[in-house]
Amino acid sequence: MRRLIPLLVGLLAAAGPARADGLSFPVLVPLTGFLSLEGTSQRNGALLALKEAPAGLVAASEVIDTGTSPEAAVTGLERAAGGGPVGAVAASMLGTQMLAMLPLAAELKLPLVTVSGTASITEQGNPWVFRFFPGDAVTKTAHARYVVEELKKTRPAVIYQTTAYGQSGKTHLEAAFRALGVNPVFQEGVDPAAKDLLPVLTKALSANPDVLVLHLHAGPTALLLRQAATSGLKIPVVAGSAMHQPSTAALLDPAELKGVCAETAASPVSGGSPAVAAFTESYRAAFGKEPDAFALGQYDGMRMVLAAVQAGAKSADDVRKALAAGRHDGLAMSYASDGKGNMAHSAVIVCYDGKTRIPALVKRYDNVTGVVK
Amino acid sequence: METAFQLLVNGLALGAAYALVALGFVLVLNATSAVNFAQGDLVMAGGMLAVALAPLIPLPGLVLLPVILLVMAGLGLLLALVAYLPLRNRPPVSVFISTIAVGIILQNGAAVLFGPEPRVAPPLLGDGVLRLGGVAVPEQSVAIILVAGLLIGAQHMIFAHTQLGRRLRATAQDPEMARACGVPVTRMILVTFAIGTACAGAAGLLLANRYFVTPTAGGDLILKAYIAVTVGGWGSVPGAVVGALLIALFEVGVSSVFSYPVALGALYGVLLLILMVRPQGLFGEAVRRRA
Repeated sequence: MRRLIPLLVGLLAAAGPARADGLSFPVLVPLTGFLSLEGTSQRNGALLALKEAPAGLVAASEVIDTGTSPEAAVTGLERAAGGGPVGAVAASMLGTQMLAMLPLAAELKLPLVTVSGTASITEQGNPWVFRFFPGDAVTKTAHARYVVEELKKTRPAVIYQTTAYGQSGKTHLEAAFRALGVNPVFQEGVDPAAKDLLPVLTKALSANPDVLVLHLHAGPTALLLRQAATSGLKIPVVAGSAMHQPSTAALLDPAELKGVCAETAASPVSGGSPAVAAFTESYRAAFGKEPDAFALGQYDGMRMVLAAVQAGAKSADDVRKALAAGRHDGLAMSYASDGKGNMAHSAVIVCYDGKTRIPALVKRYDNVTGVVK
Repeated sequence: METAFQLLVNGLALGAAYALVALGFVLVLNATSAVNFAQGDLVMAGGMLAVALAPLIPLPGLVLLPVILLVMAGLGLLLALVAYLPLRNRPPVSVFISTIAVGIILQNGAAVLFGPEPRVAPPLLGDGVLRLGGVAVPEQSVAIILVAGLLIGAQHMIFAHTQLGRRLRATAQDPEMARACGVPVTRMILVTFAIGTACAGAAGLLLANRYFVTPTAGGDLILKAYIAVTVGGWGSVPGAVVGALLIALFEVGVSSVFSYPVALGALYGVLLLILMVRPQGLFGEAVRRRA
């Protein structure tokens, strides 16, 4: 918190008369409520991008907590739009908030740059939304392909969350496995509030799977892995993107992570290039915590926006056109729109060795949709 | 058979922690006739306190327990002074609202102080696994059952066999008559809030190792406490404990045969059935008015 205050003060100070090209870049994300962990990552990624704006470009920014209600997000967007010309908005990753904001964004003609995973936000025919995080169609394809093609497993047991996030992942996993000629031997949803996951684990194992495939939120992922370790689980686990978050790994002993892999858009703490390592260092210095894929996705998205402004975009519509037609080589991947605002088309698999909580990048699935030219 | 035993231990451990939550809830309910909607968030606060104390006192959670009980008892006094006593002569809804407000303040305070990430508290004794035949039983689960049992037993001893307990019970049963008999009712209410909040803190410590803790974790727990007290008998202390154990065993048992969503649906179905068939709950109704 102490480190964040100077950064916020600096960015808010920039919101005065010295705005770059008269455009501001409000950050509307959930900082409280059940999505505050991911929302905080989003905010941090956006703020870091704005702080490190290309030379000569001073970006203004206001941070608004959207909580978890659609009304708060819409009110926040109205407030942000009323504060002078806006270039683009770093918008909430909560799908219901995005769906509520989309009509208003079209009316106000404001590009929304988000890392929301909700598939339907880019299926509304709204040209003002840009998602810098791979959707389930990309990540679950990578997830299933790693299980089948790399691990050579054919009897997956799938445990997913009963939330919209979990249902969407389960549907895409099912389709991806089917495309690979594999049928899960077990599938069951669990509520995020479930405290004891031994019942579902026991049932999954009784179906005699050769791999455990998870698509759960952070807490339940850690809880299930801990109970699996206690039960002496012998088969590999390939988890969803929540596992890659450093705060999830921090809940477990390194030994409990042995044999666990996860799909994700990116894993900044795993390195991969000097630019990613530099991002991770800057993030740690600014916020005192480890970055995750949401932070990096939002960072890349805002960097693309700023690059558009630097290249001559003078209005929100100019920014929208640049995002819709351009290509951006970000830190996590190369981004390009598929015509609907889906910008991210790559995913990676990371695995833990049982000795540290920092996973190693073991497989990249680039341009899964074939959109990036 | 081994799996069933393992599930039973897990269910008992979870139920024991829920029982502490429900116990604190029902003690305050009896003493004030008001529902303390902050009880779930007080459990979260206890868990977060354990997380904060762990680096300062790098010892097993059992050593932290007395510290947590004391600090949380102090928080309970503060809660009573701020959110109950100024409103005690207002309609009961005022206290509901004030405790909801306290809960929200605790949630957001925890989010600011600790961040939104799930956190893990130290285990009570160790985080190893006991192998009993073919059954793997986490040491923490056994410790939760024992510690919760001891705390509930201690609460029973105080309430049943001490002068303080008699005064607390008199205050809970009929505050006006207790006052007429010379019992310092306001002081007894303060003590009740302290005990109830200490119970919440202990539950927080017990839950935050195996099940982690987040700033928003309290919402689900207050619901469980409410159901436990309704099932056990509104205002009944043993009913709250038994109700909490039944809820946990029901959840674990049904979800092991069907699924967690079915278990959750069935739990509310059974609750509705109990309200229709035996509205006074398993152990009868100790107070006259249901909140």
